[in-house]
Amino acid sequence: MEARIESAICPGCACLCDDIDITVVDDRIYQAANICLWGASKFLAHKRFHPKKERRRLQQPRIKQGCLWQTVPYEAALKRTAEILTRASRPVIYGLTNSGSWAQEAALDLARSTRARLEPADLAFKAPYYRSLMKHGLFWASLDVIRDEADTVVFWGANPLHSCPRHVVRYSVFARGKFTERGLEERRLAAVDVYRTELAEFVKLFIRLEPGQEPALVQGLLAALTGGKPPAIRGLRRLAALLEEASYGVIFFGRGVSYGPAQELLDGLGELTARLNRGSPFIFFPLTADFNSTGLYHLLLRELGSPLAPDFGHDLAGTGQAEPVAWSEVDAVVVVGADLFWFLSQEEIDRLKKRQVPVVALSPFANRTTGHAEVVIPVALAGVETPEIAYRMDGLPLFLPKIVSTHLWSDSRVLRELTALL
Amino acid sequence: MPAVEEIQEFLPNLDCGRCGLTCAEFAGFLLTRELAPEDCPVLHEPDYAGFIEALHELLGQPTVQAAAGMQIDLEKCIGCGICVAMCEFHLGNCADARLGKGPRPQDKVIFHIVNGGAVVVHQERCTRLLQAAEKCSKCAEYCPTKAIVLF
Repeated sequence: MEARIESAICPGCACLCDDIDITVVDDRIYQAANICLWGASKFLAHKRFHPKKERRRLQQPRIKQGCLWQTVPYEAALKRTAEILTRASRPVIYGLTNSGSWAQEAALDLARSTRARLEPADLAFKAPYYRSLMKHGLFWASLDVIRDEADTVVFWGANPLHSCPRHVVRYSVFARGKFTERGLEERRLAAVDVYRTELAEFVKLFIRLEPGQEPALVQGLLAALTGGKPPAIRGLRRLAALLEEASYGVIFFGRGVSYGPAQELLDGLGELTARLNRGSPFIFFPLTADFNSTGLYHLLLRELGSPLAPDFGHDLAGTGQAEPVAWSEVDAVVVVGADLFWFLSQEEIDRLKKRQVPVVALSPFANRTTGHAEVVIPVALAGVETPEIAYRMDGLPLFLPKIVSTHLWSDSRVLRELTALL
Repeated sequence: MPAVEEIQEFLPNLDCGRCGLTCAEFAGFLLTRELAPEDCPVLHEPDYAGFIEALHELLGQPTVQAAAGMQIDLEKCIGCGICVAMCEFHLGNCADARLGKGPRPQDKVIFHIVNGGAVVVHQERCTRLLQAAEKCSKCAEYCPTKAIVLF
């Protein structure tokens, strides 16, 4: 039986595009129109940058018995996880940026009941941003307002074509808005990065820096804007002029900023935005890739009053931790909606393995973490096989209905039942 | 010139990959005459008797090679939709594409993004084919991965 679903929401990235037309044949997604490769990785289980290759779905929970995998029912996998968490004195619940809001709420409850630390997968990127935001108190606008009004757009350490491919088309560069009727021609664009990205194809000013040169560029821009003498960095003066002439500007920054001294750089960028805000509206916007990263920080702010990583075992003040967790202290890890072993360095992975730290992985797809985990629990795809709530990168909450059915449990159900077991 | 959708009605639409392509891609190659209906292995099965002849009738005689056309490399395409937003035909004919949204199925468009890649659905509407091959190359010019080749 064939069914068509129009204007579905895509859980591929934090853009949460709402113009997806899906054809479902016999409870299987046959075709999805208007999706990018990131959307295809969710709807059609393709590899993100290898469109013809399938991502392997996990079908049954499994636990490690000695050196062998054993397929078990969900209840047995949950029991083993509960044993691991009960024994642990310093457990960490990692990830959650690719999970729906209901799963994030369940994970927060689990962290509370096990006195664990909840570590967002992109903490190194978002924590310095929120601290900078709290320091400078900056202006904010939704993506639709940015599309309609922004005439100056800067991408700093960000490549939207890799992190959220339709962002440039829908909101920031090519889209034609209310006061940006000519789209690309109406906007003045710049990009700052340590290597040449695809943005250079259509951005007029592309500043390529040496690694570690970013704070000097920010300070130089501040000096140029206040009439001081900026350092000799190629493109600095042109960028300063572009920022100064803006009538409505936005600085999108990406994960690139977290690879160096992130706090220093983001404090500098926050100060620069605050300085520019004196003349015209200027927005400092994190270009989040994971589809519900914003939802996690909204949850933390709503429940705990701080967007930093909560540590219910060690942080008695309850202000949250901005520094990434010291993996040498951790003695159990539950990974939800992320691929931990992809982000860790090989030395950290080796040390975790040497200390025989048990890892529990909740994932719809096979990945590096599921390959090393002691307990693997397959979950349904949020927003495709199970209904969920997700927050767009500008903080707009959206309900993602179920499109096809599955025998797999949702991650929120797994986490809730795990909390009940404990 | 028939549309890709019309051609697809006479293809198995199984996306079995035995020809190395999806049915939509195969239809695109039929349109540009780079492949013939006989190249689909499934159409030789008895269930599809008469489909090859119907496709030949639909495609007509390969008299004139298109004066200008385009080819999309789906290995490079990331489905960002910049070509859809920048296409001059879409600018005047598709309000959604103007705003950066994806076109609806009933919209008059040249490109559509399907399953994460750009697919030409109505090449006959392309400005390059109709009148000004040398004047419009916006889809290829702004493609960030250089997946579109114009000829």
